[in-house]
Amino acid sequence: MTVPDTLYGAVILSVIDFFLSIVIIAGIGVILFLFPSLNRVGEIDENNLRGH
Amino acid sequence: MFSEIVALMRSLAEQTGLAQLYWGNLVMIFVGCVLIYLALVKKYEPFLLIGIGFACVVANVPGSDLTKEGGLFYYAYQGVALLVVPPLIFLGVGAMTDFGPMIANPSLVILGAAAHLGIFVALIGAKLIGFTINEAGAIGIIGGADGPMAIYVTMKLAPHLLPQISVAAYSYMALMPLIQPPIMKLLTSKQERSIVMEQTRYVSRLERIAFPIVIAVIVNLLLPPVAPLITMMMLGNLLRETLLVDRLAETVANDVMNVITIVLTVAIGSTMEASRFLNVQTIEIIVLGLIAFMGGTASGVVAAKIMNWLSGGKINPLVGSAGIASVPIAARVSHMVALKDNPYNFLIMHAMGPNLAGVFGTAISGGIMLALLGVR
Repeated sequence: MTVPDTLYGAVILSVIDFFLSIVIIAGIGVILFLFPSLNRVGEIDENNLRGH
Repeated sequence: MFSEIVALMRSLAEQTGLAQLYWGNLVMIFVGCVLIYLALVKKYEPFLLIGIGFACVVANVPGSDLTKEGGLFYYAYQGVALLVVPPLIFLGVGAMTDFGPMIANPSLVILGAAAHLGIFVALIGAKLIGFTINEAGAIGIIGGADGPMAIYVTMKLAPHLLPQISVAAYSYMALMPLIQPPIMKLLTSKQERSIVMEQTRYVSRLERIAFPIVIAVIVNLLLPPVAPLITMMMLGNLLRETLLVDRLAETVANDVMNVITIVLTVAIGSTMEASRFLNVQTIEIIVLGLIAFMGGTASGVVAAKIMNWLSGGKINPLVGSAGIASVPIAARVSHMVALKDNPYNFLIMHAMGPNLAGVFGTAISGGIMLALLGVR
């Protein structure tokens, strides 16, 4: 099923798209909130990387 | 003998472009010169406008075969039309971009979606005045303020509108220092614009390396229609952040990016030929694109004002307009507007967070739109 080619379809498309955009980008934000936990797993020595 | 000379001269003139030159060409040559003027004198995104303006001038000289099939500019356009150029731009952007500000302040990421309300205002507006739903979607995505993404979505939804949409998207991106500040000032008080935000945290190398991998997985999983662009951007960013392959990262960020910028600007400018550009539809798209940019700027600032209120006055609402994407132009505009009210307020790094999130916001909106319209 696709969006109908009408004004109603454009409104429906906009509402769904905006809502899902907010949800997905908020999801990315939540994942980024957890990023500092990665530092408990370990750390990368930048000098070691640059040595190559 | 005199009549023979006249006949020969007439024949010679007919072989030049002079015989085909009409007022429309002159108008577009003037437009091309205005774009070059804005780049040279006003310093509005010279990397984009010089190439676009010059190619616009050349495309409107009738004798030139550069834009016709087989011509040099024609092949530059094919790079855009066949969707070779947009992913390469994203590769370069990824290698040039420090996503640290976005990782460091995830609470501002939401502005990357909030500042895209303009997309939907333009989409509904386009449908109201008679565009098809696919055309309206392509026009709406101008409001994402992301040139390569606008090209990509347009080629999927309404390829015949590529000249108008790409010109509108890149022109408005270049003109953001003119478009955004009045709206930002209108919607904020001097006190709000003077808010100095707290310094963001340090982002470790491990987080920086994990970021492109995590985002690539999420985008490929949830948004396959726009995966080629974001995947390439994340590859470019991984090259940068590993520090191990400096040579590749620098080549992509400098040499590849510079070559692709020349190809892209020439391709866009070469589509501005008067006979297909000077029509009512172009004016409609240009106006809708402006509405999309203004709507996005306004919705971003309003969302940031709400966040400022919720945080007890810790967020400068000017960072909201940066959520419209167009990295780093929109963040620079936020910074410049803030500086005018408080010369010690360095907002640029705070604005970069929503600005980078705006790239993902546009990609997400575009991906969902393509999926809902049944296009892959």
